[in-house]
Amino acid sequence: MEAQETVQKPQRTETTKSTLPQPGRPIPSRAYPGALIVVEGTDGSGKSTQLYLLKRWLEIGGYRLHFTEWNSSPLVKSATRRGKQRRLLTPVTFSLLHAADFADRCERQIMPLLQGDYLVLADRYIYTAFARDAARGCPPRWLRNLYRFAPVPDITFYFRAPLEVAVDRILSGRPRLKYYEAGMDLGLSFDRAESFKLFQARILEEYDKMVESDNFVVLDGTLPVNKLQKQMRAIVAEKIDLNRFAPRLEVAE
Amino acid sequence: MSAPESEKQPIAPEPAPVSATTPAPAPAAHKPAASDDGVAQTFFGEPLVGFDPSEITGSLVVLEGMDGSGRSTQIALLQEWLESEGFAVQTSGLRRSNLVGKDIDELLAKNAVTRLTLGLMYATDFFDQVEHRILPALRSGTVVLADRYIFTLIARGVVRGINRDYLSGLYAMALRPHLTFWLNVRPETAFAREFKKAQAISYWEAGRDMSLSHDLYWSFIRYQTMIQREFEVMAKRNNFIELDGEASVPAVNKQLRQKIGESLGIRATKYSPSAALQHLWR
Repeated sequence: MEAQETVQKPQRTETTKSTLPQPGRPIPSRAYPGALIVVEGTDGSGKSTQLYLLKRWLEIGGYRLHFTEWNSSPLVKSATRRGKQRRLLTPVTFSLLHAADFADRCERQIMPLLQGDYLVLADRYIYTAFARDAARGCPPRWLRNLYRFAPVPDITFYFRAPLEVAVDRILSGRPRLKYYEAGMDLGLSFDRAESFKLFQARILEEYDKMVESDNFVVLDGTLPVNKLQKQMRAIVAEKIDLNRFAPRLEVAE
Repeated sequence: MSAPESEKQPIAPEPAPVSATTPAPAPAAHKPAASDDGVAQTFFGEPLVGFDPSEITGSLVVLEGMDGSGRSTQIALLQEWLESEGFAVQTSGLRRSNLVGKDIDELLAKNAVTRLTLGLMYATDFFDQVEHRILPALRSGTVVLADRYIFTLIARGVVRGINRDYLSGLYAMALRPHLTFWLNVRPETAFAREFKKAQAISYWEAGRDMSLSHDLYWSFIRYQTMIQREFEVMAKRNNFIELDGEASVPAVNKQLRQKIGESLGIRATKYSPSAALQHLWR
C-alpha cells in the first residue's frame, strides 16, 4: 500500500464565479475543500459491506457526510429499464447512459457537496465504467475522455477478491442473473453463470490495469469483515483530516 | 461519392494542452484507433465498437443550420426527389431515438437538468440512432438524410462552457458524413421564421438557460449568434458546404440537388414537388 501525500485543501469561500474547471476538464482533489472516498471492485468483492461499515463509523461519530451509489438517479431510470427490457443497449449507448446518470449526480450532488466541505462516500465510481465498458469493448481512450469531468477521489479503495470467491458469493445469493449483469450481450456463452464468470474475469483484468495509474489502495477482499474494516478506517484516518468534517461543538458547558 | 479527406482531425480545434491533472493517462497499451484509411474516412476518431467500415454502401447526407434555417423543409423535399429517382431514404434527427428520445423531451419540458447531463443524454440519443437507424440503413445502400448532426450538439455544448476537446472526443465514434450542408441564415431571419411557425419562441431556441438577456428577442439573437460562430469554427475542418439559407426554398433545393446528384451519380437533377409538398415550395 503506497502512502499518498495529504492534499492541501482550499478553504470554503464564497466566490461570484465558479473556481472549478469547466466541464470536460478533470477536477483535481485540491480544487475542492471536501473529501471524496471511493470503493471499487468486482461484484461480490465485499466493497459495499465495507463502505457501509465505514459510513456507520463516520455517522456515529457525527461527521458531515453524504453517501452516493452508482446508477441511482431517477433521471435515467426509465431509459435504462426500457433499454434493458427491449435489449436496445449497445456497449456505446450503455456506457453513455451511465455517464449521463453519473454527470447528473456529479453536477447536482457530488460537486456541490465537495465544494460545501462534505465527506462524500461513493459506492463505485468512474473506474466501474472504465472496467465494465472496456470489458464490453469500448475504447479505453474514449472512456477516459467521457468521464473527464469527474472530480479525482482522495482515496480509491480497490477490494480485490479472486474470481472464484467473488463469483461464488454472487451466484449463491441470486436466483437468476440478469441479461446485462451476466454480460450476455457480449455473446461469451449461452449459459448465464458461465457468461457471468467470463465477463467478471475481463472486468477484474481491467481493474488490475488501473491499480498503478489511478492510485488504487488495494485491499484483500477475502479477509474477515472486521479486520478489513479496521484497515480501511486506519487508512482513512491517516489520509484524510477528519477533524474538518467533525461536528462543530458550539455549546461548551 | 466524394469522400471527405481521410486525415484524422479533431472535429473542432482546441489549442488546449492536456492538463497535468488528468486523473490518469490512457493505458499505454492502447493502440491508435484508426490504423487503416477505411476507419479514418468513416469515423472522426475511434471506430464504433464492433463495426466494419467496408460494410457501408449507402450515403450519409447531413443538413445543419440553426432553428429556422429551413432544414426540415429541405429534407422533406430531398426525400421526395431521391425516392422519385429510385433511392431508398432514411431520415434521422435529434431526440428521435427509441432509447431516450422521449426522456429528453421530458427533461427539456421540466427544465431540471444540468448542461453536462443534457449533453450526454443527447449523445446517447445520437449513438442509439447511429447504431439502430443510420448504420443499418447505410449497410443496405440507403441514403440517410440527417436533420442536424454532431455539429449542432458540439456547438450547443461549447457555448454552454463545455470543453470543446471533450465534446470532440465524445463524438469521435460518430460516422463522418459524405456530405455536410450548412444552411446559414442571419439570426434575425431565423427569428422571424420561427416566430411565424409557432407564434412563439421556445425556451431552448432562445437559449434562455444561459441567462443572456431577459429580453426574449435578444436572448434568441445572442444565443443563435454564438451557435453560428461555432459553426464557422467547424465549417472548414469538416468540409461544410455552406449554402445561403436566406435564398428561396427552390433556389436552396436546387443547389442541394446538384451536390447530392453529383455525389450519387444522378445526372438530371430537375425536380418539382408533388401536390402534397407544393406548400413548401415558396
